Amino acid sequence: MTLAEREAELEAMLLEREAKHFLVREAELLDHRELDAWLDLIADDISYYMPRRLMRENTTNVFSDEGYYFDEDYGSLRARVERFDSEYAWAERPPTRTERYVTNVLVTDHDEETVDVESNLLVYLSRGDSEAHDFYSAKRLDTLRRRDDGFELADRTILLNQTILSTDNVSIFL
Amino acid sequence: MVASDIPAPLRESLQDARDALDEGYFPLELFHDDDVHDLEMDRIFGNSWVLVGHESEIPEPGDYARRYVGDDTFIFVRDESGEINLLFDSCRHRGTQVCRAEQGNTSHFRCPYHGWTYKNNGDAAGIPQKSKAYKELDREDIGLAHVPRLESYEGLVFASLAEDGATLEEWLGDFKWYLDIHLKLPEGGMEVVGEPHRWVIDANWKTIADNFNGDSYHTAWAHGSVVDLELGGEETVGHAGTGESIDHHIHCDGHTTSIRGFEDEDVFLTYPDDVVDDLFTKDGLSEAQWQVARQALSFTGAIFPNFGFLHFGDTTDDPNKDVAPFFTIRKWRPLGPDQMELWSWGLAPKNAPQEFKDRMYKMYTSNFGPTGNFEQDDVPIWKSITEAASGQFTRSQDLQLNYQMGMEWMSEMTLDEDWEGPGFAYSENLEEGGMRLFHEQWYEMLAGNERADATGTPLNVEVER
Repeated sequence: MTLAEREAELEAMLLEREAKHFLVREAELLDHRELDAWLDLIADDISYYMPRRLMRENTTNVFSDEGYYFDEDYGSLRARVERFDSEYAWAERPPTRTERYVTNVLVTDHDEETVDVESNLLVYLSRGDSEAHDFYSAKRLDTLRRRDDGFELADRTILLNQTILSTDNVSIFL
Repeated sequence: MVASDIPAPLRESLQDARDALDEGYFPLELFHDDDVHDLEMDRIFGNSWVLVGHESEIPEPGDYARRYVGDDTFIFVRDESGEINLLFDSCRHRGTQVCRAEQGNTSHFRCPYHGWTYKNNGDAAGIPQKSKAYKELDREDIGLAHVPRLESYEGLVFASLAEDGATLEEWLGDFKWYLDIHLKLPEGGMEVVGEPHRWVIDANWKTIADNFNGDSYHTAWAHGSVVDLELGGEETVGHAGTGESIDHHIHCDGHTTSIRGFEDEDVFLTYPDDVVDDLFTKDGLSEAQWQVARQALSFTGAIFPNFGFLHFGDTTDDPNKDVAPFFTIRKWRPLGPDQMELWSWGLAPKNAPQEFKDRMYKMYTSNFGPTGNFEQDDVPIWKSITEAASGQFTRSQDLQLNYQMGMEWMSEMTLDEDWEGPGFAYSENLEEGGMRLFHEQWYEMLAGNERADATGTPLNVEVER
């Protein structure tokens, strides 16, 4: 390996590490339900999209052309966050206990301004006075954009594994 | 009278429940009871018209979707001639299910076990080595079994597992008048957008039936967060019995709808002017139906036993954006005494501009379905009712739920004598008669009587029972 190749490799590792740190820190904010701080990481022009997964014959990774769970912009995400501040947002009173596991982080493309990163997400969640627990499992395709203090999330597509959900609702962000 | 083929203790508890209804009560324990669940599946879901889906979900020949009626799995499929079928998903050889995908398109269904093959109208097509192995077998006799009865109303497809009984038209009765307001208002009708949301929740199906049969009382409290944030207008989701809107609760042939609106105003559920002007038509509606649509802000409704709909205006996903309407239909499918699967579809006028259909679907997912800002808060409530119903205390204390709102000694109720639609129309929405009507029908069907024996007659109106 030439020195130039080693340097390029090192650059790629550092970039991946940087992206991974962003995702891990973001997961931490969501697990601690610091939703206002999370919203600070969201770009004004965010597209936050979770299509409905379909179960088709002989193909995998099929998602609906039209059907989705989330198709949010900044305003609708902010509304969702602010709704949880209401004392009537019963679904999260008390809050869901979550732990997010972010793995398989891979930078797929990047330029001066943005980094495209794939990751796998496993969310453990349990609720109420109960031993019962549940999981969401998904692949996420994100675009991170550089700003003065690090990255902001500019685009996220959440490819959920489930076609039929086993939770009461989706009252957390993925 | 409860039919005598039911074991005595169950018979007694059904009769007690019916007697309690006369006083506006219903036993909590019946929201979590194994024997009652078995009887419900047999007598209600075995004899009712149950929603399968919408014709627009399978527009092309060969389009299919797996669907469920009661505990049974069927294939909802449009065959090569364009006819819609509902085929029992079980090979006629050894019972294997022949449809594995949730949706798709196919000319044939193939059994994975021994290779028996069926056309998409259910006819048997191929049997491997038939001439040697099954030479006397007649293909005519071994097609996939069709559901006994399958009928459509304005695009909505319903099935009945019973060979006989009321037709779908008879089952819907005069409630068709109210369905038409939604389904015939836009020229070209309504169509489904995307695929239904499905999720399994640990709650008894009667909790959600109660909710859709006129629970206007819960909206401002359970969905207070939506009001706080102005994601829904005060008149759409504000407290029942308050505000400027004209409210009606209607009971009609066993089904119910709640309507909020404004007298003598062009509301049209806040549909944009171009959709109202270009698409809304009086062609399929009477003048009275047109006037209801014109003045309406929101509708909630339920068709016995497990179909619900919401057609709301004045909602948004962001208080800084313009309001828009949504239209959603749903079914709740019991999986056990303490579990059901919810199926929820977003719809839009078929001939509306694509951009507007997209906006309506967005309004639907922002408000209802698993991610909806309304619905997120409903499901845990239904679950907790079911949990409360499950223990010894509920039974030993004979705890009763209260459905007395609207009974003559409890609240002032007036019937709107000028209402031009069918059924009974109350001039307010602080009443629980729609739920009592639901439970009356529930009783009559479990008891082995006719559903129509449940009169649901308002207790302050003199009618021969």
